[in-house]
Amino acid sequence: MSKTNLTKWLFALMLAMLLVLAACGDDTSSEEPEKDPETTEEDPAGEEDPEDAEEPEDGLYSIDDFATTKTNEGTAIEGGTLNFGLVSDTVFEGTLNYNFYSGAPDAEVIAWFDESMLYTDGNFTFTNEGPATFETEPYETDEYPNGVTFTFTIRDNVNWHDGEPVKAEDWAFSYEVIGHPDYPGVRFGPDFTNIIGMEEYNAGEADSISGIEIVDEKTLKITYKESQPSLLTGGVWSYAMPKHIFKDIPVAEMQESDAVRKNPVGMGPFKVKQITPGESVVYEKNADYWRGEPNLDQVVLKVVSPATVVQALETGEVDMVDGFPVDQFVDNADMSNVEWLGVTDLAYTYIGFKLGHWDAEAKKVVMDPEKKMADVNLRRAMWYAVDNNAVGEQFYNGLRWNATTLIIPPFGDYHDPTIETPTFNPDEANKILDEAGYKDVDGDGIREDKDGEELVINFASMSGGDVAEPLARYYIQSWENVGLKVELIDGRLLEFNAFYDRVGQAGEDDPNIDIYQGAWGTGTDVNPYGLYGPDQMFNFPRYESEKNTELLVEGNSLDAFDVEYRQGIYKEWQQLMVDDIPVFPTLYRAVLIPVNNRVHNYSIDYGSTMGRHELAVTQEEAIKHED
Amino acid sequence: MWKFSLRRILIMIPQLFFLSLLIFVLAKMMPGDALSGQIDPNIDPARIEELRIQMGWYDPWHQQYAAWVGNLLQGDLGDSFRFKMPVTELIGQRIANSFWLSVATLIFTYLIAIPLGITSGRFNDTWKDQLITGYSYLGFATPLFIFALVMLWLFGFQLQWFPSSGSIEPGLEPGTFEYFMSKFYHLLLPALSMALITTFSTIQYLRNDIVDTKQKEFILTARAKGASESRVYNKHILRNSLLPIAAFLGFEITGLIGGSIFIETIFSYPGMGQLLIESISLRDYSVVTATTLLFGMASILGALLSDIILSIIDPRIRIK
Repeated sequence: MSKTNLTKWLFALMLAMLLVLAACGDDTSSEEPEKDPETTEEDPAGEEDPEDAEEPEDGLYSIDDFATTKTNEGTAIEGGTLNFGLVSDTVFEGTLNYNFYSGAPDAEVIAWFDESMLYTDGNFTFTNEGPATFETEPYETDEYPNGVTFTFTIRDNVNWHDGEPVKAEDWAFSYEVIGHPDYPGVRFGPDFTNIIGMEEYNAGEADSISGIEIVDEKTLKITYKESQPSLLTGGVWSYAMPKHIFKDIPVAEMQESDAVRKNPVGMGPFKVKQITPGESVVYEKNADYWRGEPNLDQVVLKVVSPATVVQALETGEVDMVDGFPVDQFVDNADMSNVEWLGVTDLAYTYIGFKLGHWDAEAKKVVMDPEKKMADVNLRRAMWYAVDNNAVGEQFYNGLRWNATTLIIPPFGDYHDPTIETPTFNPDEANKILDEAGYKDVDGDGIREDKDGEELVINFASMSGGDVAEPLARYYIQSWENVGLKVELIDGRLLEFNAFYDRVGQAGEDDPNIDIYQGAWGTGTDVNPYGLYGPDQMFNFPRYESEKNTELLVEGNSLDAFDVEYRQGIYKEWQQLMVDDIPVFPTLYRAVLIPVNNRVHNYSIDYGSTMGRHELAVTQEEAIKHED
Repeated sequence: MWKFSLRRILIMIPQLFFLSLLIFVLAKMMPGDALSGQIDPNIDPARIEELRIQMGWYDPWHQQYAAWVGNLLQGDLGDSFRFKMPVTELIGQRIANSFWLSVATLIFTYLIAIPLGITSGRFNDTWKDQLITGYSYLGFATPLFIFALVMLWLFGFQLQWFPSSGSIEPGLEPGTFEYFMSKFYHLLLPALSMALITTFSTIQYLRNDIVDTKQKEFILTARAKGASESRVYNKHILRNSLLPIAAFLGFEITGLIGGSIFIETIFSYPGMGQLLIESISLRDYSVVTATTLLFGMASILGALLSDIILSIIDPRIRIK
């Protein structure tokens, strides 16, 4: 009896030990150094399906291989229903009005039934092609010597979905709502306070905005204190809201009202027919659309999770999506029922160096020469030490690639591809560090700082996605190769909210962070002041210099309406950023959009004038993927 | 019985109070807030700061807590920052989905568990029993979220028998028969996935009870009286063995809540579980606290329900 008992105990003990061992084994394997992508010579071509002609030999793609406009095959039918996938792992919030929404999914939902009064061209500059046209004239008084007056004229045939014409007062109403003291949204900011009389109105001192004048039913005048090129690239709030519907609703309650949530009325090519909160929206065509009757009868938008978007596309459940998770592209490049469109995203990834802190009192950045990263040579060496082309190829199959300057290529007029930026060269990095005095004093292979003290650089990086961890490890490895000891702060990646809290989105920077890896979506305004201006909270490196401030201010001045002058300024600024290196851009990235072959007339080109009313399909049912 | 129930309900009050305090403090301790996602060069940080102050997020936590509890007692759960609407309304939209999903899951669970449990108990140690026990061990060992993913992949995508996301086909008129059928069709797969895997405890419970009961003296007596085998099982054994299962119902509800968080996320089914997960990752405090509190309340009520049923069935269990 006692013997069996003992055996049993032993068995249980062994089982427990097994579990412990298994757990430990897991741990050690994950701590092994990540393979250096640069030294890994894989041959992905060998594993590929030889029949597949679409895939390039080396498994690498380039943004240049993608069209921006869908090729039309066959003839379109009349009517039909298009299924649009909103790729999101959360539901859409349902704040369906340009003046109130804050989430990107909501913007996608709104874009089908409402639109901007002003269209933009390939340089994101307002044109006269949209529902309204505009003229500008200088406005010069003693108080505002550099003012400008915009005169907007709304076209006659532009109507709201309920048949009411879109009037000047509807557009002015947007300003009255956003500027209202009770306005609960996020839109209010410098673009609005730049309007004469807006600050008084916002403070509740005035009943109306003196700089906004309704000339007649279709003509609106807005006067700005400072004339800036940014006004033409999104600085003018170009969304109207139907005053006849909203006028009796108090501003504070508008975003909860049915006019925003259940029966939104817009002026776009499609009308909202039915909303299932968070899940789907059914639109029907707006025959009265000012650019002509839409081809499609109906559009069904539904939320698709990024985890299942591939299946939804293959089965034809959705014809196209608002954005495709690019890391899933390589495995699905051969999807037979779609055409892949691609453009360069309005975003860049970068490594930032903490050079100071935020002064909450003065609301500006303060540089601190004592900071670990204060020596520009150290920063330059770190730029030379990383191989971003290899990162793009190994981690992203070429769908992200080495970034050069802080003004991204889609800003074609201003991005300067001729600027030489440090690219991977470890010898150069070693040389710079040696000359700058970062020497390995104690012979352990790791450089000490200029005083011979131990130098450990703390690196903050965000979690999320499969490559976040190996990518951070790769950078750390690359810096170690030139003798710099970089460690992840807290020894791990930080979750999104924690990351931005500590990097300083509220001005309380974590002083332990020396460098960080972040990314910016730039929006459509080329002006980088909001990210690098000395009084900007989002200037996370906390960098300023006289030259920087001067160039940034000059780049958005009255003179800068002259494109050539502005190009000169921004070229100089891009060069300055390469010389001063408060941050260095690492990767530009691609946006890929799959579109079902039955869809006609679709373009993701930034300058495209193709409207959603032109969308058409060639058959009733979506084409399915065939192996 | 009434005295007992009343006492249990009174105990619930401090329980709920501590739960709410815990939830609130933990929610506030999460890094970031609902506005940290709005880091965008096109949005003025000064405006964000202004909103933070307006929302009272800089007030000391006990003040915020007091304000929250004050509103709570008046039935006001606050406004969702993300959805920009009252939390009560938001939960109202979602809770119906979760409720029907839970009901369907429970029905499926019992539809599977009762026949299997009875067969397994009646013919214990035969191949039938071993097959069923094997299935229930498999269910015990498989994580719900893996199983649900496999189900989604197989029936949602490969075979395409069921819709793979959402709670309703877009474009149907509410109130029509098609609308109702579409709702049912959409919750079938998630409910089945959850039922198939969580049913093991009920099967085993029932089996053991039947095996236990059938050796009791009163069964011998019944047999001795000459009752037929089916009468013995249906009348004498089953009645006795089903009672503890009924008492188990309350705990089953608690388990459903945990499961629904996985299931709703995997099947993109807009219910309370999905709402909770999203609100946590986007730091929508008022929704996080409200849903967690509701879940907590449901758990406590579930346990209470179990206790009450048990005390009715078995008078020996009475809390003094």
